[in-house]
Amino acid sequence: MTLLQKTTRLYVAATALILLLAGFALFLILQASVRDEMEEELALQAELIAEDLAAGEHSHIPLTTIVEVPPEAATRKRVFGDTLVYDQVQRSAEDYYYYTDVHPVNGRFFKITVMDAYMGWSQYYTTILVVFLLMGLLLGIAGAAINYFLTRTIWHPFFENLRRLQGFSVSAAAPLQLHDTGIREFSELKEVLEEMATRSRQEYRALREFTENASHEIQTPLAIIRSKLDRLAQYPMSEEMSEHIVHAKVGVDRLTRMNKNLLLLAKLDNRAFQDIQPVDFSAVVQEHVDLMGELFAMRGILLEVDLMPVELAAQQYLSGVLVSNLLSNALRYTPQDGMATATLSAGGFTVTNSGEPLDFPPGQLFDRFKRSHARPETTGLGLAIVFEICRMHAWVPDYGYEEGQHRFTIRFR
Amino acid sequence: MKLLIIEDEPLLLGEIENYMAEHGFLCEHATTFSSAQEKIMLYHYDAVVLDITLPDGNGLELLKQLKRRGSEAGVLIVSAKDSLHDKLTGLNLGADDYITKPFHLEELNARINALIRRKSYHGHEVMQVDDALHIDTAAKVASVNGQELTLTKKEYELLLYFVVNRKRMLSHQSIAEHLWGDSYDMTDNYNFVYLQIKNLRKKLTSATGHDYIKTVYGMGYKWATP
Repeated sequence: MTLLQKTTRLYVAATALILLLAGFALFLILQASVRDEMEEELALQAELIAEDLAAGEHSHIPLTTIVEVPPEAATRKRVFGDTLVYDQVQRSAEDYYYYTDVHPVNGRFFKITVMDAYMGWSQYYTTILVVFLLMGLLLGIAGAAINYFLTRTIWHPFFENLRRLQGFSVSAAAPLQLHDTGIREFSELKEVLEEMATRSRQEYRALREFTENASHEIQTPLAIIRSKLDRLAQYPMSEEMSEHIVHAKVGVDRLTRMNKNLLLLAKLDNRAFQDIQPVDFSAVVQEHVDLMGELFAMRGILLEVDLMPVELAAQQYLSGVLVSNLLSNALRYTPQDGMATATLSAGGFTVTNSGEPLDFPPGQLFDRFKRSHARPETTGLGLAIVFEICRMHAWVPDYGYEEGQHRFTIRFR
Repeated sequence: MKLLIIEDEPLLLGEIENYMAEHGFLCEHATTFSSAQEKIMLYHYDAVVLDITLPDGNGLELLKQLKRRGSEAGVLIVSAKDSLHDKLTGLNLGADDYITKPFHLEELNARINALIRRKSYHGHEVMQVDDALHIDTAAKVASVNGQELTLTKKEYELLLYFVVNRKRMLSHQSIAEHLWGDSYDMTDNYNFVYLQIKNLRKKLTSATGHDYIKTVYGMGYKWATP
């Protein structure tokens, strides 16, 4: 439910309640005053008739009955009431109000009943109901019109800001900029949001810089460990000892690769690569195919290459990283004597390879540190880097698995 | 060959110095910008290993000073930053090569040897490995008793790597990175190294009747001069 709907709903409920109460009150008040007035009038009529009787005259007021009552029954009793009288002209029963009183006239007693026609109470109800329903309807229409107007004008900047907030990312190049609405509440919200966005961006930047610096700082100790292990490996030693050293070296190598990839990711996050220039993408692919061709051949993998000349506005170094990561991914996951293809056209670059399906959801394929359970020794960063490089160039990476073939496509725009 | 190693991390410096001395270099070192500056002013070196992040200054400044003095020394920049920008800046300032930490000492040695060959012999050097085996690094050809060996590009590179680092055992990782670069994750594929070694060994053995490459079980390979 929107804020407008919520307020409108409350407003409508309150209006309906007020109209109902007002209508009811109006009815009661009208009824009371009309009755008072009629009673006064009828009492006066009865009084006049009694005076006429005393004077020996006979009144000719219609719908009046004068009955003499014996003195013993003549308790003075005023009675008011509603009754129906058949109207011969309109041929229908009409609402009448009557008044009966017993008057002493010259020692005799007369019971005088006078009547007056009036609009029945049900007609009062109906009239008031119609008027108030009409009022309610008009109020509803006016409310809807005002809401529409508000949405179009006052809320418009709010929705525009909401749209910008939805598109905001702490890693975005431009800071968050919101519309000024001129409404105090919205302005306060805008200030708070902008400040929060600025702070988040600063913290995010600090974190990215930290990652990059940390990766750099790790390089020198790694170099020490690696050279010391190399040195240790030169000494004559037992098989057991050499095994330990080999394991340590494998660990250092893994750490080295991981760190190198993290550093590249940190740099991509920091937008360290800005030199976009025309790149002969087919040459980049060819270079890596030449370098890796024998690696494929040694594992008996048939690598089919089909390259069309393609020139793209791209970052030279990253183009190479993207191609090499996709090809080494294919090399790693293609079984012995499998097959792989690399296809380049103006629309995109596609690498396919035969192999078992993924053992995790394909949606996580480009996530950092996501790797096959079968290959825990890899860094799980190669495809994350591909993803970031694509994002930087506004290329679209896509993955699919059909008929025993993994297919990675990078669509150029 | 005189080598100046400028590196502020003493443990790493010690290893580099040790390794290079083992392979016949006369090594001197500097751990600070100022001491490096002094050494560059006073002495002549064939090659300089230059770490660009020094506690009291930027190594690139030292490089500028070297070039201003018209030094012929080959310069290999060592950096903890795998930064294209630094690399290009360094090479534009006249450095001969750039290597990123952490590196294999064998790789460092191979790079220094390569840049000295380019500098000092202007690309003309025939390395006499022993009486029979010669390597012409300009033509990129190895020959046994004057008879040219037919080696693939990778096999030639591998042979040179072994010869330059002949005092040390070479690990699988180091060989794989030297031959295919460090952009591929080769850990699961040391078979590639094994295949290259097997082919080279076969060619050398059939030409010389001697097995130059010794397998160090589980760890790597070592050059064995007969």
